[in-house]
Amino acid sequence: MKVSYRWLKDYTSIPWSPEELAEKLTMAGIEVGSIDSLAPDLPNVYVGEIVRVEPHPQADLSVCQIDLKSQMLTIVCGAPNARVGLKVPVALVGAVLPNGMQIKEVELQGVVSSGMACSEQELGLGDDHSGVMELPADVQVGQDLVTALGFDDQILDISVYANRPDLMSMLGIAREVAALAGTKLAYPDTEVPETDQAIEDLTSVTVEDSDKCPRYCARVISDVAMKASPLWMQQRLRAVGMRPINIVVDITNFVMLETGQPLHAFDYDQLGENRIVVRTPAENETHFVTLDGIERELSEDMLMICDAEKPVCIGGVMGGENTEVTDRTKTILLEAANFKAANIRRTARKLAIGSEAAARFEKGIDPEAAIMAINRAAKLLADLAGGRVARGIIDVNYVEVGTRAIELRPGQVNSLLGTGIDQDAMVEILTRLELEVDRSVEPWLVQVPPFRRDLELECDLIEEIARFWGYDKIPVTLPGDKGCAGGEGRDLTLIDQIKAKLVGAGLSEIVTYAFVNRQSLVQSGLDQIPELSKMIALANPLTEEHAVMRTTLMPSLLECAAYNFSRQQQDLSLFEVGSVYLAEELPLQKRPVEEKRLALLLAGERIPLHWSLEPQAYDFYDLKGLVELVLSGFAHELVWERGTLPIFHPGRQSWIAAGGRVIAVMGEVHPEIQKNYRLPGRVYLAEVSLDHLFQAEKPVPEFQVLPKYPSVDRDLALLVSEDIPVGLLIEELKQAGGSMLQSIEIFDVYQGRQIAEGQKSVAFSFIFQADRSLTDEEVNDQLNHMYQALKNKFDAKLR
Amino acid sequence: MEARIQSVKSSAVEECSKIESLAQLQQLWVKYLGKKGEVTQLLRSMGSIPADQRPVVGQMVNQLKVELEQLYEQKEAELEKQIQQKRLQEEALDITLPGRKPKIGSLHPLTLVLNEIKQIFISMGYQAVEGPEIELDYYNFEALNIPKDHPARDMQDTFYITEDFLLRSHTSPVQIHVMERQDPPVRIIVPGKVYRADSDLTHSPMFHQVEGLLVDAGITFADLKGTLEAFAKAMFGPETRIRFRPSYFPFTEPSAEVDVSCIICRGTGCKVCSNTGWLEILGSGMVDPRVLEKVGYDTEKVSGLAFGMGIERVAMLKYGINDIRLFFTNDQRFLHQFK
Repeated sequence: MKVSYRWLKDYTSIPWSPEELAEKLTMAGIEVGSIDSLAPDLPNVYVGEIVRVEPHPQADLSVCQIDLKSQMLTIVCGAPNARVGLKVPVALVGAVLPNGMQIKEVELQGVVSSGMACSEQELGLGDDHSGVMELPADVQVGQDLVTALGFDDQILDISVYANRPDLMSMLGIAREVAALAGTKLAYPDTEVPETDQAIEDLTSVTVEDSDKCPRYCARVISDVAMKASPLWMQQRLRAVGMRPINIVVDITNFVMLETGQPLHAFDYDQLGENRIVVRTPAENETHFVTLDGIERELSEDMLMICDAEKPVCIGGVMGGENTEVTDRTKTILLEAANFKAANIRRTARKLAIGSEAAARFEKGIDPEAAIMAINRAAKLLADLAGGRVARGIIDVNYVEVGTRAIELRPGQVNSLLGTGIDQDAMVEILTRLELEVDRSVEPWLVQVPPFRRDLELECDLIEEIARFWGYDKIPVTLPGDKGCAGGEGRDLTLIDQIKAKLVGAGLSEIVTYAFVNRQSLVQSGLDQIPELSKMIALANPLTEEHAVMRTTLMPSLLECAAYNFSRQQQDLSLFEVGSVYLAEELPLQKRPVEEKRLALLLAGERIPLHWSLEPQAYDFYDLKGLVELVLSGFAHELVWERGTLPIFHPGRQSWIAAGGRVIAVMGEVHPEIQKNYRLPGRVYLAEVSLDHLFQAEKPVPEFQVLPKYPSVDRDLALLVSEDIPVGLLIEELKQAGGSMLQSIEIFDVYQGRQIAEGQKSVAFSFIFQADRSLTDEEVNDQLNHMYQALKNKFDAKLR
Repeated sequence: MEARIQSVKSSAVEECSKIESLAQLQQLWVKYLGKKGEVTQLLRSMGSIPADQRPVVGQMVNQLKVELEQLYEQKEAELEKQIQQKRLQEEALDITLPGRKPKIGSLHPLTLVLNEIKQIFISMGYQAVEGPEIELDYYNFEALNIPKDHPARDMQDTFYITEDFLLRSHTSPVQIHVMERQDPPVRIIVPGKVYRADSDLTHSPMFHQVEGLLVDAGITFADLKGTLEAFAKAMFGPETRIRFRPSYFPFTEPSAEVDVSCIICRGTGCKVCSNTGWLEILGSGMVDPRVLEKVGYDTEKVSGLAFGMGIERVAMLKYGINDIRLFFTNDQRFLHQFK
């Protein structure tokens, strides 16, 4: 909300500069975002009075004598409204106007003009360029213009928290300023001169939906002289960013800004039967044209202000075109009502109307404010527009709110804050905020006025005391630790460990959006997998890109790779740890499973370009090694099987199961899928369910006594049929190797010219070890036994 | 005989001085000290010497043998040293060629910042816990004193899934989950993803928060100030100053916005802090008793402090990152800056 520093001074004296005020307010919890000067700087522009006007001898211009008090200037001027007695802004020779124009002494067809009488537009004060700007009669001649017009103002931009609708008014802000400064708050004059005509003879108000409208006040003002509002009021409105319209609308806006109570003025003569009915729309009332000329679609829960026949206003949100105040308006029905906040909020949202009135009503305002506001507006209409105010106010449906009593234990103040604030100081703070404190009872009884609906509990009062006592004065202590052991759960620790391993292995962590485009499954070929297609959709996504919660991380990694590829980043080794969101059924009835997953992606060269190394592309076994690294250390019996996911190359993929459940998938991405992402080369991708992985124990490594006796190495190269997986050979060798076989490594796998077609050569290296010195003979026997086992089972031959 | 000995010696010394390789040295050994060498022959000719002279001459020959062996060893050592020196000279490498760096990856900057924050609070006795991202309206709002139609819901543009389910707009619902299953004292931090319908240079529809909650007997606002000051100094350096401004959150009362002295200009005013010298980093406050009552805590016996911060915001300030989207596009050139 914009607050004028000058205007604020109408209600309390401010012992601070605008900057100091901003600092004080901010530190009291009323955040001032910025301070801006209201008007452009206008040096060398002064108030002058035209004392003589003569036609120019040769041109269609006037030659004016303008009194500036210190000097008399001759100024040639083309404005049609130049006349004797008019006060105008005069730019002296040497002035530079906001539009860049430099004022010089010029000769206009024989007459020397020393300065310029300016229009609003030329001064950057408005749009009017029809003539010279007409200043109010009471401005002081010779004064600099900015001061004379009160434009030497600073505007504070204040953010008002949702719980403080009372601060959406000049009075509300002034109340806080007065409490901070210890100054007095001056309420505006609300003394209304009334006629003998009773309002009851002129109109009536019926509220049919009293839940949505807890109060409706009306006054009738006749003989209103429609015109522009006085300059001071226009300035006030402009200062806070509102456009002046006419005297009636300006007064309702002015009073709303002043008191926080929105008002609405109806053209009384346009109201059917000149009366008001407050109700929800009838079945046939489906559309309504608001005063901005837009046709709005109504729904049955919206509250409408109607006359005897038709809706005339969307209550608390925006008035209707049909009863708008116009130049022809003579008599006004003035409304000051209170509406249920929740309903205003819903209506304004549904219609996408962000009016000043709705912004106040939807936060919930003080129903007591209606009378003050309606009287203030009626008084201004009488004073400034010659209006005649009918006697009395119609006040329907009002239940007095009164004050609310809250118990306050002064001891609790200090024990919650950790302070030693004395009781007199507490009372003084509360009293300055217009809260009445009864100290004669224990706990104290604090009476909260209705404009502070945010204060409900003792802790709310404690905050008020803390706020005005000063947060900076509250001491700084540390809570005793009570033996709380810090740390994190097992899963988080395990994730940290896995991330550290992967970073050590050269992978970079990425973070991608948890919501994805539904198309991402199609693009990655996974849309045929029913459980992946059951994606939880947002009801109000910002874009299709972020519309559904992901059920797999893999498409996100492919997208990330594509993003990097298109930026010449082709050697990629990435991982992400994130959740997938698995619904049992859609639409969601119960909490979905949020499962922690790890995904890995490799693409391009494994070895960075280096003068001493041969380039080498990543392959399947790089990825497999990483997956093995992640899965290792858990007490799982892992089963590797060839997989069938359409995202992968059919011959180059695996799923890894533990306890009958797949806990990881991996493979080379299918060339068709890579095409979808415009990824050249070969890309390797894996996804691991960390939640499933972590279900197994991760035993602490058990120390094995180091061998006392030397080990014996043996190599063995065998020929087998090419379709026998090496994994089976290893299993068999382990069986046959007995207890003295300590390890098996494969140091070569070869297929090619030197061996028969359909065969492959696999070279093993074994280490034998026992708790004694092994003889060559017994090792050779064992090795032979192992060879025989493979020979029998797989028809293996020595190479 | 004596003269012969002398002549063998001087010719050996002379030949030795001309030797340039180990092979030549070996020939020299054969010539003088080998089985058929000069010294051996001298020893063999001892028989022709009168018996009374033999001991003296024998000693002289032995003396010669020892001297020649020494000469040999000296020469050998000298040659080896020369050879080594030559090798060392030849083997000089271009030390300006780049080395073979082991390939090391990188943690995401958000993880780096979160880890720092986590470590600070863990050292203060906090447990890090996580909670669901798809939440019930009750946990995200109602239990945190934000009933339906409460204007505070405007502060958070929430993504909804159904009437009841939504994407959590803050990590605060985890406070409720933890308090529902655990009696005081509670001392937790909650990192995690949160979601709000907002997208520009400084707002992302998905971002990360860390939430802190401490509920125990006698916890005060002064404790809140102390805790966050300790955090700020550990996170941003010991000279960091901290400022508490009153604020509003529905689930804390009193509430405070916490500013730290600008980590770029140290409080003198710069572009990053819009010349205020302060950076808004944390929201915080004393847990509203209505929240504690909702989980069945006795507000006469315990009170709590709570705080929360955006990890992206801290990371952007710490590393000088100007666009929040960089965190989620994961350009490798961005990621590799955080090795």
